[in-house]
Amino acid sequence: MSEERKKILEMVSEGKISAEEAERLLSAISKDGEPDSGTAKREPKYLRVMVEPRPGSSNPDKVNIRVPLKLIRAGLKLAALIPKSAQSQVNEALHEKGIELDFSQIKPEDLDNIVRQLDDLTVDVEGKESVRIFCE
Amino acid sequence: MPMLLRLRGIDRNGQRFTLWLPLFLVYLILFPLLLVLLPFVLLAALILWPFRMACLVIQAYVTIFRLLGCLSGLQIDIESENGGFFIKLK
Repeated sequence: MSEERKKILEMVSEGKISAEEAERLLSAISKDGEPDSGTAKREPKYLRVMVEPRPGSSNPDKVNIRVPLKLIRAGLKLAALIPKSAQSQVNEALHEKGIELDFSQIKPEDLDNIVRQLDDLTVDVEGKESVRIFCE
Repeated sequence: MPMLLRLRGIDRNGQRFTLWLPLFLVYLILFPLLLVLLPFVLLAALILWPFRMACLVIQAYVTIFRLLGCLSGLQIDIESENGGFFIKLK
């Protein structure tokens, strides 16, 4: 969901605009170049992490991070350059954290797959803060 | 490759600063530095050739350029009661 769409929906939920006005705004956004739901899926470019306080929360901390997926790909390729001797240490550290993952078994094509799968990732966590992780 | 860095900070008193940094000025310093570094990288690759690590050294060097090229669009915005910090590369 784009920022504009989200803002419009928030305005509706807050009662600032009516459903009809929201519909008009949403259609105006679609005309401005946003693909309709029926058209081909746009390839996401960024991984977005947003942490916002819940309404009424005393904690005002906010985090909004947008990471280009290209950067994640390049970073993962950099991780693949880690020497084998260091990879065993990484494996041990992961094992200590309860993650059973053999770092040496991850190949560059697997990394590409991992990033491609991120496209469909959406994580919503509602606690003291609202945490959203998605691709856009 | 990002050409502009926008940096903004707000302290707890609400005082803010904004910095627009044209990154091509940084590249003017960085790229000659990386070029100067290139013979040393190749030398390191030659030394590490018997240990089969030459490829790693060269790949790491190339990855620096790749990472620089991929930074465009990065945005970090953090706000707390003690202030805030915003960085955007475009």
